[in-house]
Amino acid sequence: MSDDITPRLAAYMAKMLDIPAVDVDGLSRISGGASRETYRFAARYYRDGRAHDRRLILRRDPPASLIDTDRSAEFRAYKAFHKLGVPVPEPIVLELDNGPLDRPFFIMEEIQNCTVASVIQPDPYGALAPKIGHQFFSTLGKIAKADPDKIGLGDFEGARTDSWKHEVERWEREIDEDEREPQPIARAAIRWLKRNPPQPAQKVSVVHGDYRSGNFLYDAEGSIRAILDWEMAHIGDPLEDLGWALDPLWSHHNPERPAGLVSREHAIAFWEQASGLKADPRALFWWEIFASLKGAAIWISAAREYGDGRNTDPVNLFSGWYCLAFHNKVLADRLAGVGA
Amino acid sequence: MKPEIDKILETTAMQMMTQIAPQLPPGYTQNSTGLLTMLLNFCAQEYENGAEMRAAENRELRNLLAELEGSVEDVRLRVKLGAVMGERDASLKISDLNYSNAELKKLLIDVQTYLETHNDDQAKLARREIWAVLKASAKQRLLKLPGM
Repeated sequence: MSDDITPRLAAYMAKMLDIPAVDVDGLSRISGGASRETYRFAARYYRDGRAHDRRLILRRDPPASLIDTDRSAEFRAYKAFHKLGVPVPEPIVLELDNGPLDRPFFIMEEIQNCTVASVIQPDPYGALAPKIGHQFFSTLGKIAKADPDKIGLGDFEGARTDSWKHEVERWEREIDEDEREPQPIARAAIRWLKRNPPQPAQKVSVVHGDYRSGNFLYDAEGSIRAILDWEMAHIGDPLEDLGWALDPLWSHHNPERPAGLVSREHAIAFWEQASGLKADPRALFWWEIFASLKGAAIWISAAREYGDGRNTDPVNLFSGWYCLAFHNKVLADRLAGVGA
Repeated sequence: MKPEIDKILETTAMQMMTQIAPQLPPGYTQNSTGLLTMLLNFCAQEYENGAEMRAAENRELRNLLAELEGSVEDVRLRVKLGAVMGERDASLKISDLNYSNAELKKLLIDVQTYLETHNDDQAKLARREIWAVLKASAKQRLLKLPGM
């Protein structure tokens, strides 16, 4: 498949750069979630009298996507936060036409010599955990602090008031459409979330939508070099991202260290310091229940994609099986604990 | 059949992980192969435990729903709850057990939703009983990662 698109990618890049030819080499698929196909490649060309050798990433829509996500929003989020100094890859070009590579795609720089943690790996960060943890939760605070209107993302999907309601209804619809068997725990969670709304958001923020361990690149010195996978970015309550980042699924089997990085107290303190906001415990608890419900909805959709044969990437089956069982357990324990 | 199917799946997964995956180029293909080995391990767990787990869960759900009849005033719901104890799984095939499980869970959702609109002591106790069963079920359905 990758060989098939190499010449077309080279032709596209030459046209984009307005030069006679670009040499595309080493196009190979890498892991990057089930919502986009992700490839790395090298592009070599002559322009302005000198040779260029760039390492790039191609993110292309798959034939069927786990969750319908907006690649324009993802690309624009990269652009906006790149300008703001949040570590993200430099976005290069967005192509929405199906012609060049059969499906929409975008190209961005490849961040090299970095690692991305596997979410099932125990203690992936080792001695680097405190340093990475501070950056991870502070960077999330910085994203929360940004004014969506001032950075050009004010028109993103989402709700400026009652974003909690908008989000619950969004993921309830996802479950309505995709569940293949009754989900008593997820349904009870939805009812609890609706009966117990959180206090209004302190501010409207850009919500990354999938800010977690496993979605950032870090180097050998423990510096976060890139926050990835902005495909579910939207407008909403900044506590949504914090709740998701703290979810036990991303703790690398260590409930004492959210994201496998630092203590919960430190994580929240780093976020509050960088954002200038407060993480009210009751509101945060609501968003943590929501996070596990949203996870369950995504995994239910993943199982549906796989079961219907639309996208049989093994990550969909893994998500629909292991991750759904995990989040059902988290939700059952937490909701039983509050007498739901 | 000896060796048992779960043993065959575990051995196949181990061979894929130790002999095949390292020969593949790093990246998507190698990572996907790793995931496939994990999925084979999950299949092994389901082969050994799947029927027993579902049969036990269906038994628990029937007992729970029959008990809940006394906590419900809605006549149509009471009739459904009253009929549950007379039902049986059609067989120990996974598909039959899943069918019964889905029917029981649909009824559980209905009765839990109903009880959430009532706040008397009996309803509160009934809700706690439901969560006890849901917690136990969720724990039973967790999958073990290889080597964990």
